[in-house]
Amino acid sequence: MIELHGLQKEYRQEEVPMLALKGVSFTIKKGEFVSIMGPSGSGKSTLLHILSFLDRPTGGTYTFLGKSIDDMSDKELAHVRNKDMGFVFQSFNLLARLSVYDNVEIPLLYSEVAPADRRALIEASVAAVGLTEKLHTEAGRLSGGQKQRVAIARAIVTDPNVIFADEPTGNLDSQSGIQVMEVLEGLNKKGRTIVLVTHETHTAEFANRIIRIKDGEVESDTLIAQRHAAPKILK
Amino acid sequence: MRSILTMLGIVIGIASVIILMSIGQSAQKLILNQVQSIGSNLVIVIPGAPSNGKFSSPAAAQGIVITTLQQQDIDALKREPEIDFAVPEVRGQADVVYGGNNATVGYTGSTADFFTVSNLSKMSEGQAFSKSDVDSANHVVVIGPDLAKTLFGPNINPLGKTVRLKNVSFRVVGVLGKGGTGAFGVDIGNLVVMPISVAQTQLLGINYFNVIVVQANADYDVNFVKSRMSFILEHNHGITTSAKDDFTIQTQADILSLLGSITSIFTLFLAAIASISLIVGGIGIMNIMLVSVTERTREIGLRKAVGATDSDIMQQFLIESILLTFIGGIIGIAIGAAFVLLIYFVLSHFTTVGWVFAFPASAVIMSIVVSSIAGIVFGIYPARQAARKNPIDALRYE
Repeated sequence: MIELHGLQKEYRQEEVPMLALKGVSFTIKKGEFVSIMGPSGSGKSTLLHILSFLDRPTGGTYTFLGKSIDDMSDKELAHVRNKDMGFVFQSFNLLARLSVYDNVEIPLLYSEVAPADRRALIEASVAAVGLTEKLHTEAGRLSGGQKQRVAIARAIVTDPNVIFADEPTGNLDSQSGIQVMEVLEGLNKKGRTIVLVTHETHTAEFANRIIRIKDGEVESDTLIAQRHAAPKILK
Repeated sequence: MRSILTMLGIVIGIASVIILMSIGQSAQKLILNQVQSIGSNLVIVIPGAPSNGKFSSPAAAQGIVITTLQQQDIDALKREPEIDFAVPEVRGQADVVYGGNNATVGYTGSTADFFTVSNLSKMSEGQAFSKSDVDSANHVVVIGPDLAKTLFGPNINPLGKTVRLKNVSFRVVGVLGKGGTGAFGVDIGNLVVMPISVAQTQLLGINYFNVIVVQANADYDVNFVKSRMSFILEHNHGITTSAKDDFTIQTQADILSLLGSITSIFTLFLAAIASISLIVGGIGIMNIMLVSVTERTREIGLRKAVGATDSDIMQQFLIESILLTFIGGIIGIAIGAAFVLLIYFVLSHFTTVGWVFAFPASAVIMSIVVSSIAGIVFGIYPARQAARKNPIDALRYE
């Protein structure tokens, strides 16, 4: 599903080139739950931006669902982001004055889904994160954990192949964080690929594979035999 | 709240365009109505050569004394079958005095036909002077109703009373039936009309006319009448080529088209002034849209992340600014219409001006189009700024 070969990203800061990614290679298969870990400045955010088509690499190859990023126009990238990718951010990025319903609808505004078919999709997504009773509440009035669950509903409303989650528990207390991870875990169990970026080992261990990045390179890539299970922790 | 304040610029701009254009058109209608009320088959002869330019006036109107219009011209014109009336007029200004009351008025010396041709035959008191009054140079006057009120007050009947102009005594024989402002701004309410013979000899000391008003027979084309008159007057004045004419003939249509073009320019001028406020309003919209783009940077980032293209974002902000200006335009039209109605109500109820209600559809359509265009013009820059934002930076924006 995701194939990287010698991926590089070079930034220029005041004419001085700086290599944020120095040839990253790995493959993520459909249905995997992968955590990308690393200290700040390691290049994990840059990697996530490229993986999620928000940025382009300056070297190496990136193939998503069999298509190389180099062959796609900005418009095509936007289309793939809409159709095949879901996004969960650390700071939720909800529009506070819109209702839960309207927030979840946003990706559909840019999709090919007919307006008449949207309601059912939105309601199903919100139900999947357990917030049906908050459907018409203003997003700004929700708690942090609820906000992140709305963000997840928004990420899955277009039924994407992969969900990119950037520090999804970073702004939450541990209880809410675990609830959010439980939702992600449930989605993964139903076959969705999840790529999680975090610096918290505890959160990373919800995944079945951890890729550690250091100084722009893959430091380790390990499978987790004993992964966390959110329901167990909650009990 | 901020949107309402922003719209205010457009609202005021559109409202002022509507109000000024409507006032301009009302004034135009008012003037044209008054000119038309003297009758469409009137032809006016003014002494002096025709001017070349449309907007320069004949010599007589510029205060140059020209003595070429004489009684023989009237006699010759009257002989024509296509001419019903040829009425000479002399004009002057004097103080009119009755007892301790006086007023400065414009007076007209003319023949008995003056009242027929000017559509002033109906008297509220007494009657118009007669042909024999003119022939015998009787010292009689017909006065306007406003002047009658000024001189005699509400309790004295003006009929038979003696008034004085330039120390010449006149007996009042009639009071005109209607007042107000007549054609060419003549104050009918304060008009004094007397036999032309008296005006020429006793007040002005002249033997020529200031104007000849001709009423053409309705069976003839006015332009034909005009060319016949030209021919007769040239013949009378011994002129061989029309380039040397010492008179100007103007038909109702000439005057209407002249006035029409003057008032149209006037209206356009008013609209141009008002559109300056529209531009100011538009800049206000642009300003607030730029602030909005900055404030909504994260939203833009999010929308781009979940699949919005640059053109989606551009469209969103453009639609917002067009909506702002469009709604502002609609409110402006409503406020403008309310003001126009108010002006109409006040002018028609509290003044004697025959104000005409005009709410030009062209102004409404223009306002909607202009306000929407303002939305595009002043929204396009902020919308482009929004569309060009990099989603990664936008998502990180604090």
